[in-house]
Amino acid sequence: MKRRRFVQALAAAPAVPVLLAQQVAPPATTQQPAVNPQMVPGGTRGGFGSMEDLQKLDVVSPDDAASMVQRFCTVDQFAALQKLSDTMMPPMKGMPGALEAKAPEFLDFLLGHSLADRQQIYKLGLDALNAQSRKSFSKTFAKLDASQITELLTPPLKRPWTYDPPADPLERFLRAFKADVRTATTNSKEYSVAAAANGAGAGGGGRRGGGLGLYWNSLD
Amino acid sequence: MATQEYDVLIVGSGASGGMAAYTLTKRGLKCLMLDAGPNVDFAKQRVLKPAHELPYRGFGKPGKLPHVLQANEFNANQWVDEKQVPYTYDPKKPYNWVRVRMLGGKSLFWARMSFRLSDYEFKAKDHDGFGENWPINHAELSPFYDKAEGLFRVTGRKEGLAQLPDGNFIPDESTDSGAMKRFSAAAKTMGIPTTKIRRALGKGPFASSFNLLLPDALATGNLTIVPNAVAREVTLDKATGKVTGVSFIEKGSNREMHAKAKAVVVGASCLESTRLLLNSKIANSSGVMGHYLCDQFYMNSSVVAIIPEARDGKGPRGFTGGGGYIPRFRNLKKNEKHNFLRGYALDFSTGGTPDPKLFGSWGEDLEKEMASCRGAAFSCTSMGEALPRFENHVSIDKNVVDAYGIPVLNIQCKYTENEYTMAKDAVDTIGEACEKAGFQVMNKNPKFYNPGYSIHEVGTCRMGDNPKTSVLNRWNQSHDIKNLFVVDGSSFVTSGSQNPTMTILSLSMRASEYLADEAKKGNL
Repeated sequence: MKRRRFVQALAAAPAVPVLLAQQVAPPATTQQPAVNPQMVPGGTRGGFGSMEDLQKLDVVSPDDAASMVQRFCTVDQFAALQKLSDTMMPPMKGMPGALEAKAPEFLDFLLGHSLADRQQIYKLGLDALNAQSRKSFSKTFAKLDASQITELLTPPLKRPWTYDPPADPLERFLRAFKADVRTATTNSKEYSVAAAANGAGAGGGGRRGGGLGLYWNSLD
Repeated sequence: MATQEYDVLIVGSGASGGMAAYTLTKRGLKCLMLDAGPNVDFAKQRVLKPAHELPYRGFGKPGKLPHVLQANEFNANQWVDEKQVPYTYDPKKPYNWVRVRMLGGKSLFWARMSFRLSDYEFKAKDHDGFGENWPINHAELSPFYDKAEGLFRVTGRKEGLAQLPDGNFIPDESTDSGAMKRFSAAAKTMGIPTTKIRRALGKGPFASSFNLLLPDALATGNLTIVPNAVAREVTLDKATGKVTGVSFIEKGSNREMHAKAKAVVVGASCLESTRLLLNSKIANSSGVMGHYLCDQFYMNSSVVAIIPEARDGKGPRGFTGGGGYIPRFRNLKKNEKHNFLRGYALDFSTGGTPDPKLFGSWGEDLEKEMASCRGAAFSCTSMGEALPRFENHVSIDKNVVDAYGIPVLNIQCKYTENEYTMAKDAVDTIGEACEKAGFQVMNKNPKFYNPGYSIHEVGTCRMGDNPKTSVLNRWNQSHDIKNLFVVDGSSFVTSGSQNPTMTILSLSMRASEYLADEAKKGNL
């Protein structure tokens, strides 16, 4: 090959394999595999065999093997969060409810990473929920029966929705939570699997039903 | 390739920059276009994913885009990162600045609502004495609206309304649903006109400069596009008083580059254009650059009602569905007595389902109520003209720079009583029309989002005949520097209640034709 053409060929080849060839040219002395499979896009390069022939390894997500560690809520707050989740999003029409969708655990995680204003809405709201329960029924919210829950939740939630958040911390929290628990449930893996099996559920298919959306990769 | 001097350097590739490139290259001018974002391969950029595979189940990374309420976890990377390119504001007056940086700009994602401004906007001061008139009228812009509407394939129904001039439409001959007819008839008894939505059909997935303008401009052989070029300064030759080109930062390497041109067209979006010019310290002998920032206040679901006949899925086939547009109807006559100036417009739809937040119930009861109302809702979005006020302004914040070392914008903008009063009138009036139509009003919301939310920000480099009170002349040309043009929404004098894109496209085309004429005559 004439030198000129060789240089052209080098310039045309993708940069990564060229660099790799230089790296692996001397005998491998490290314990690392000489080739990182992810760095060689498809097909054979430099005599390492076809990547398509490699056996796919079965793996699972962390949720299939472990539980989320509770980080944000206190024990009392989390118990109220679970009870309220089950109240607002129980299993319906063969679809998983908030508890099966691990919505309380997810929201606890989300809150831990949230800005102070959202954290505050939940903290004050959950504490108000327990305080109100103790005052009216002498027990925490998690211990209330269905009719007591209805008695407690009806007044704040019956007020008409307003754009400006309500001044009352309990009402403000309940309104935020009503939307959040719905999203956390319908966007869960459990809900998505059930939706595929059932055809549809509350919220139907699509994004809100835990379905597919077009995800934008980073522009950088 | 050797460095060359171009005839025209265009900053920005969205509706305004794209239209400048389209017009100028067809006139034979050699153009260089810089855009701050990448040339996106849309087939590869977006991948299908289930919501549960996203780290935050669709809630989005907390704090990532606090001012972009339109963002969700799927499309978060589509918007400009507020940490990379921040802006500052008074915490008591938050502003939602929504930005896109990629070839095609925001024209890739707009709602395609395509309306003309009328002489109620162009000559607004003549009607109510507030602010200034535009230096042009509808008749002067009309030939350019015609061409822009043709290029973007705007569909609509001709109505002969003075406040919403008809355009060069692909006729919308679809029949109205029963519920639509009922609403329109009720509105008519109150003197409120309704029409079809006027919408750009575009071509394929987009109605964007990306697919409708830039390919033709490139085909002339006269356009060179450099993506990932973040404009920092329009350079001026003090001896001649003319601009000489643009300094820019290459995204990624942060190399500083300079490109030369005989004329510069700025179309980087309203506030980015003004930021670039303020940072360049040029073209502001009037002192009004950055001032008169305005837009439309915006609220979706400002009135939600239930169409009783459509409850429980009982509506006859074709009874619900479809939507329409209510053009401005307030303050069109001299003797009208309202406690606000100007007016508002709404678009409405029938056949949706109300948001769960509007029901007082939860759990099984909520599901039952939602099922009963499925497909039975009327809903409308209100958009009202925010008055152009000197005190609503932007300036350079010298203490903060973006990821490219460029000083950022400080935005001072707030709505006033005129907008709040107008929004209340909008929901009360449309609520009344709903009741007249036999719909049950479920919620009326007279509030609206922060300024900026509508992504219809205009003004800050306004046009005018008087160089002491305006930045640009009637041709979008700087009063101070004759080879500098600003062709985007920053040139607006008022916002009107109409979506601005068709006006931006038409102004840019008109300015570019003028620029080409002047270049030919050797006047630049």
